[in-house]
Amino acid sequence: MIRVAWLVARKDLRIEARSRVLLWQVVPFGAMALLLSGLALGPAHAGDSSAGPGLFYLVVLFVALLMINRSQVIESTPGTRASVATLGLDPAGVFLGKALALAIELWVTGLVLLAGTVLVLHTALHGAILALPSVLVTLAGLACAGTLYGALTAGGEGASTLLPVLCLPAFAPLLIAGERSFSAALGHGGLWEWWVIVLVALVAYGGVGILLYGVLEES
Amino acid sequence: MPNAEPLDLTPVAPPKSPSRSRWRSMGVLAVLVIAVVALLSQGILHSLNYFETVDQALAHRAKIGTEVIRLEGVVKPGSIERTSKGASFVLSGTEDRQVFVDAHGSPPQLFQADIPVVVVGHFTSATSLDFDGSQIMVKHTATYIAAHPGRVKAPNGTSR
Amino acid sequence: MIRQLYQRLLGPVTLVLLALTIWLGVWVTPPDKVQGNLVRLLYVHPAIAWVALYVSFGTATIASALYLWRRTRSWVADRVAHCAMEVSVVFIILTLITGSIWGRPTWGVWWAWDARLTSTAILGVLALGYLALRRANDDPTLRAKRSAVFAILAAINVPIIHFSVQWWKTLHQGATVFTSNRTLLVHGSMAWTLLISFVGFTLLFFWLLRARYRLEVARERVERATLDAALSQRQREGAL
Repeated sequence: MIRVAWLVARKDLRIEARSRVLLWQVVPFGAMALLLSGLALGPAHAGDSSAGPGLFYLVVLFVALLMINRSQVIESTPGTRASVATLGLDPAGVFLGKALALAIELWVTGLVLLAGTVLVLHTALHGAILALPSVLVTLAGLACAGTLYGALTAGGEGASTLLPVLCLPAFAPLLIAGERSFSAALGHGGLWEWWVIVLVALVAYGGVGILLYGVLEES
Repeated sequence: MPNAEPLDLTPVAPPKSPSRSRWRSMGVLAVLVIAVVALLSQGILHSLNYFETVDQALAHRAKIGTEVIRLEGVVKPGSIERTSKGASFVLSGTEDRQVFVDAHGSPPQLFQADIPVVVVGHFTSATSLDFDGSQIMVKHTATYIAAHPGRVKAPNGTSR
Repeated sequence: MIRQLYQRLLGPVTLVLLALTIWLGVWVTPPDKVQGNLVRLLYVHPAIAWVALYVSFGTATIASALYLWRRTRSWVADRVAHCAMEVSVVFIILTLITGSIWGRPTWGVWWAWDARLTSTAILGVLALGYLALRRANDDPTLRAKRSAVFAILAAINVPIIHFSVQWWKTLHQGATVFTSNRTLLVHGSMAWTLLISFVGFTLLFFWLLRARYRLEVARERVERATLDAALSQRQREGAL
């Protein structure tokens, strides 16, 4: 399972490195969204760092939906599913590989957005650094949940519009816990309890994905 | 090739799924259950509470400061006074812990003495025990008792 | 014969029980000591919520699990899951509406973002997501499988809703019927009326489920007939 996961993750990351969709489309979109949200706050609140965590995760949500869709489009290219089935790859390994690749891509984007919240939304730098571990774990949780729900919608009609409807309720606990732990790192509340929630959500979505991804891939 | 042996094209039964994947599934399920139970048993989710009780608010008074919170308590009998802005009353916790509330806006229909309420607002200063409320919500209990027991007669004719 | 009797009596019995609930709830039972006549929504809201969360969503989840398990996999299970989830959407929306109507005069607000209400709203979104997912796939097997997986994932929310009033401090009241120490917190004729409302609305769910299931079978029959007719037409054209 680990070997297959590593194989699939390398494949997805190699495709990303060649196509550069993340670099030229997703990251600029995220940065623009962050900038616009800062503008939307208006002069009265533009320097209010307490809005930073919420806006950060709102933009992360938009970016994650784009990247999950992209991750599933890669699987939908002609011959890919048939090849995976023919090779008899462990579905759990495929799930973990795709989730790992998506997590790495989200981490890269997340780091850029985190820097953006410090620069544009005046979030305290030391708070952002303290929040980094919880941000990485939250994004990994989003990657696991997104890979699972992406597989549910892959190849269907209106997959790109269906994905947000299905993902949002699943993402809600991760986004809330992620935002609260980011706020806690900035000095508003207890950090430890939100960390635990994020970790449990990551384990939960990872575990459910390992159990059910194979069922979704059978067709 | 003329003398080649014919190929055996009989369909072959697929290999049985290895028991290793069954053990893996059980292991993953066990980890999931442990993680969720651990989360719930630690009472870590109290941060999702809708309100702070009077006792909790007073215990964390310094940390709360003048932050907007939802404060829950029982309305002390005899403390309600209607003001030009709304109403003022005392919220009781346990063991004589109390907070004076000055609320704006009309209270809900069920607002009365001896009923639990949730007030949205903030303490007037970092150390004060006076609470400035912007909204009152009544938190009714789960118990339902007839208002006029005498009107409902039991099958044997006695009043309840 | 029992099946025929059940099919014939289900509708009338449901209507009688619902009529009895309305009569008892509006005219016979007394007002509550604290809530007064607002308590009459007690005979509507909890029963609808019970059906939404446990009966209909539970039926959809069990049918989905039966479909995913190879030994019990059948189109009947898939149809039951789909139909039960459609009815569940209706009951979840009614739960939120009746709850708001009750909440406004009692709490003072139409809505509160506490754990019980928020998780119920999320369940509604999940149920709508299930229906959207079903429309996204034409392949019946793929559709059934993905919907079943999604229903099981969505069902994780049901115990969260149930235990939300125990785990967290919420504006929504705690349990009146399913209390942790099994004490019924409603008295006298109010309790009996509550029980009748639960039975009445549960039978209403099964009545609606049966009607929806028959509609689904008829729709599939019409679809197959249309397809067969179209194929015959193409074959005739090819033969000419």
